[in-house]
Amino acid sequence: MLEHLNPAPEKPRRAVIIGAGGFVGNTITAQLRIDGIDVLPITRREVDLLATDAASRLRQLLRPTDSIVFVSAIAPAKTVEQLILNLRMAEAGCAAIQAVNPYHLLYISSDAVYADDANPVTERSPVAPTTLHGMMHAARELMLKTAMAGPFVALRPTLIYGAADPHSGYGPNRFRRQAAKGEPITIFGEGEEQRDHVLVDDVARLAARILCRRSRGALNAVTGASVSFSDIARMVAGHFKPSAEVRPVPRPGPRPHLLHRFFDITDCLKAFPDFTFTPLAEGLARTHRAAMETRS
Amino acid sequence: MTRPRIAYVGMTHLGLCSGIAAASKGFETLCFDPNADLVARLESGQLPVVEPDLPELLAANRERLRFSSTPQHLSGCDVVYVAPDIPTDDRGQSDLQSIDSLLKAIERHLKPAAVVVILSQVSPGFTRARLKPGLNLYYQVETLIFGRAVERATQPERIIVGCADPTAPLAAPYRAFLDAFGCPVLPMRLESAELAKISINMCLVASVSVANTLAELCERIGADWDEIAPALKLDRRIGAYSYLSAGLGIAGGNLERDLATVIRLSGETGSDAGVVEAFVRNSRHRRDWALRTIHREILDENPRAVIGVLGLAYKENTHSIKNSPSVALLEHLLPWKVRVYDPVVTPAAVPHLKIQGTSSALEAAQDVDVLIIMTPWPAFRQLDPHDLAKAMCGKLIIDPYRVLRSAAVTAAGLDYITLGVPPYRARSHCDA
Repeated sequence: MLEHLNPAPEKPRRAVIIGAGGFVGNTITAQLRIDGIDVLPITRREVDLLATDAASRLRQLLRPTDSIVFVSAIAPAKTVEQLILNLRMAEAGCAAIQAVNPYHLLYISSDAVYADDANPVTERSPVAPTTLHGMMHAARELMLKTAMAGPFVALRPTLIYGAADPHSGYGPNRFRRQAAKGEPITIFGEGEEQRDHVLVDDVARLAARILCRRSRGALNAVTGASVSFSDIARMVAGHFKPSAEVRPVPRPGPRPHLLHRFFDITDCLKAFPDFTFTPLAEGLARTHRAAMETRS
Repeated sequence: MTRPRIAYVGMTHLGLCSGIAAASKGFETLCFDPNADLVARLESGQLPVVEPDLPELLAANRERLRFSSTPQHLSGCDVVYVAPDIPTDDRGQSDLQSIDSLLKAIERHLKPAAVVVILSQVSPGFTRARLKPGLNLYYQVETLIFGRAVERATQPERIIVGCADPTAPLAAPYRAFLDAFGCPVLPMRLESAELAKISINMCLVASVSVANTLAELCERIGADWDEIAPALKLDRRIGAYSYLSAGLGIAGGNLERDLATVIRLSGETGSDAGVVEAFVRNSRHRRDWALRTIHREILDENPRAVIGVLGLAYKENTHSIKNSPSVALLEHLLPWKVRVYDPVVTPAAVPHLKIQGTSSALEAAQDVDVLIIMTPWPAFRQLDPHDLAKAMCGKLIIDPYRVLRSAAVTAAGLDYITLGVPPYRARSHCDA
């Protein structure tokens, strides 16, 4: 559950986005600028968090009055090496944060920190990751929370989609790219697994609200609506003329233990009563339009 | 033996109802409270609690009842019940300071052979820790139900008594008093009686949690919990009086306190309380059913929606708003305009909520987009859905406790959402 330290929204003096060059970091930066907030975007060009001098370089850029968003990550962390690299990046961040003691720290985490069988997932579900990616985020949450003397908050998005997503993991982004190339959209088995997908813009809007309320605690960035991959594929296919083919293919491995994943978004309704998530159909349509505009 | 004189210390909901019930059994009863203002109001016949039949019972037995704030008056009593409210914090932990203070304050005014009975709920071990030479101390399990307090106090199924030595006979005046209730009296060791009270509540919570878990499933797979529950009650292993009504989690404070106590004791002793933690999780989840429903059905698409809420009390026939699902809901509807009506509780009882009070249920429904019935007051059952449909500008009734009949609501052109069954959609929408 989130606790708002600002009873009413108040713009941060300056928001610093560590990892502003990435898909999510870039969207958060844009959202904060739309909201009229002074933003310092930090990308790998300014500070390479894996460089030996990363902590000192980062420290020089930060001020005690900053509200920091730490979003930089090598994601998804699929290998032990990627896990360790991510922890090293967080280690540099921790050193700088400990030295500067900023006003507020928001870490963009992941719903992968929860156990697979936590349905319905809430912010009180046990943090019990079953993947290296989830363990990476869980460890980084704890590292940053420990380093931060002031308020710390973890925003835990579920599967994010958006036109600029460079990843092509199984889901809306891959489906759209397959269709755009004139290929059939392939779903595993019957594509019956239900998942929650959140539009990247909604994650950014939530991040902005959290900064303005100086919230602490944890919040899942999830819509509360889980939809099957089959239905998502058909929605994406319908954006193309003629409609793209949706083709079931054999699963690359055994059917996942976690067939469906549902979220209870009550904490979000309480934390931000007037916040509404973009419905999946609308978000997918918006993503499609944005992708088409980028191509043309 | 002359009839013992009985006293109740602490004119709480429990103490007052129990005191009047004692008088109704033919005993001279002293109702004591250190609050002189409260005593004066009681003396003049003003009851601070709302309970069916309580005013009538008070009037019928007035001659045997004496209200007093003078502790010396306790010296004439043979059996003295101590029944203050035990406050609980947000985590359901009891603050036992008030009962200790009260025990200390009255002790020196009691006659030497007086029996002292702790009636307020205390944690296992509490009573034994207060035993001392010269103090004839017992613990008695109370089973007060708000809204049914008179029935519970006058017609208990059994009386559970915690004793320092359960093999010894009960003190004669105490036994004489208990026998007047004509039900089994079960003496047991103090710790057993204290845990028996918690055990009763745990069984109730288990039933409620099962009902709530399966009711949610009903909502999603097309079943109706109200068709299932009566069938279960005919099963002798479950029982006709089992708590199988779907509800908005566990409310009222007492059950939550017992859940917290079991979890704490298990933590201290290393026993497994995983199932109790699951009860807590489920209760929290179901408590917010109305909030999730109204967001899903209305608020996510209509940020300017006006909401009508019927009921503030935590249940019908009570003035209590402690842990009220209605108040919990309203606390998360601050951005919206809300019109509220409760037959007993006024908006002044919840000053932190900026709600507009109204003088009737129909007035609360006027021009609202959605009407939510959050307390199942009997009076709300008389509402005609056609009148509601005319008053409202929206078309949705959210009625977790099935105060209204779904068929009548949908026939009036309104959508109807309740616990334990998928939404009913209107038979025909009135678009006028």
